[in-house]
Amino acid sequence: MPTHSPGPPAAVLCGLAGWVPARVVTNDELAERLDTDDTWIRTRTGIRRRHVIEPGEATSDLAVAAGRRALRHAGVASVDAVIVTTTTPDRPCPATAPAVAARLGLAGAAAFDVGAVCTGFVYGLATAAGLITSGVADRVLLIGADTYSTIVDPLDRANAIIFGDGAGAVVLRAGQADDPGAVGHFDLGSDGAHEDLITVTAGGSRQRSTGGEVQHRDRHFAMRGNEVYRHAVTRMAQSARAVLDTAGWKTDDVDHFVPHQANLRILHSVADDLGLPRERCVTNVDAVGNTGAASIPLALADAVARQAIRPGDRLLLTAFGGGLTWGSCLLTWPDIQPVPADPYDRGDETAS
Amino acid sequence: MSTTTYDQLVAILAKLHDAPADRFTPEATFAELDVDSLTMVEISIRIERDLGVTVHDSELRPTLTLGGTAALIDAKKAR
Repeated sequence: MPTHSPGPPAAVLCGLAGWVPARVVTNDELAERLDTDDTWIRTRTGIRRRHVIEPGEATSDLAVAAGRRALRHAGVASVDAVIVTTTTPDRPCPATAPAVAARLGLAGAAAFDVGAVCTGFVYGLATAAGLITSGVADRVLLIGADTYSTIVDPLDRANAIIFGDGAGAVVLRAGQADDPGAVGHFDLGSDGAHEDLITVTAGGSRQRSTGGEVQHRDRHFAMRGNEVYRHAVTRMAQSARAVLDTAGWKTDDVDHFVPHQANLRILHSVADDLGLPRERCVTNVDAVGNTGAASIPLALADAVARQAIRPGDRLLLTAFGGGLTWGSCLLTWPDIQPVPADPYDRGDETAS
Repeated sequence: MSTTTYDQLVAILAKLHDAPADRFTPEATFAELDVDSLTMVEISIRIERDLGVTVHDSELRPTLTLGGTAALIDAKKAR
């Protein structure tokens, strides 16, 4: 794509969409199989319901649905690269992105997965921006998609109430650093010494080379909640401050804080720590739960559709996830066509 | 001094927890206030953030009273 003014190239957001599967699981439904209730879940997590896939569905199905809508929203039919960021790929091998690209009619595009657990979308944004600024690609489709229902033990009270399935996608194009929508500054980090805090123990090379019978709990997602909470709040606040410092923004310059939708209490704690009024914290965790790598684009799609985020608004995106990983990114919201009123397809459900 | 710390502790709790304000008394324990473990972590984070004292959430036992917590914070401050 030719650019007409001089200056370094930048990746500019030009399309956005989200999608969640039709099936809704309410807190009341969870209370039928778990020792919990709606009030407990709502007051502890802020979550009212989540969406889950049907048997036989996979992460790529959600990624294709979100990707197709994002391409349509951007008004483009082709891209040079497709990045899927996920913790729940369709298979251990190959990556999910090539199949997604093919099903979107984008065969031939570069396609690969990025794994950074719940920080995946921010890592994916940095990767996509790198492809564009290095001249490798002029347009990139980035999809965050996860189906935690496939790795969380349905009888695990701590995690089954939190996670939901979903996908969110953005299209990035080559442009200029001062274009609205340019993804500018990043802060990314990790601390692998804490890999055990958020994990699926079995299924990888360590367990396969060890052999022996796989324990039930090792097949499922496990999270050491109290320690993760502390790291999440601390790391997200540090990362947000770091990216603001890099860009020379003050906290007050942030119109909307769009964090990974982990749990409402974590989001409010980080906002309080940063000195950001809680009303500037964009959230839809009540409607979809924690959707992993999909959570930031799903929250963005929801807020843009409600016109809570408008062209010219300054956004701070911050995520935290297994690894441990964390990351932040700043951007000014572009003047792109509003997302349709229903931000993400809720299937047959009529929102309560 | 301990009054101030106690008031600061109650101010932290009031931001986080939906128990009615009249239940925050020096004699009330975390268990009686139905404070769950993640809220304990959040209280620990905010004590460090707002009062500059490190109290790990494992030190905030369910049987600990709010008055006892304020005393614990003051003892750490005095160190």
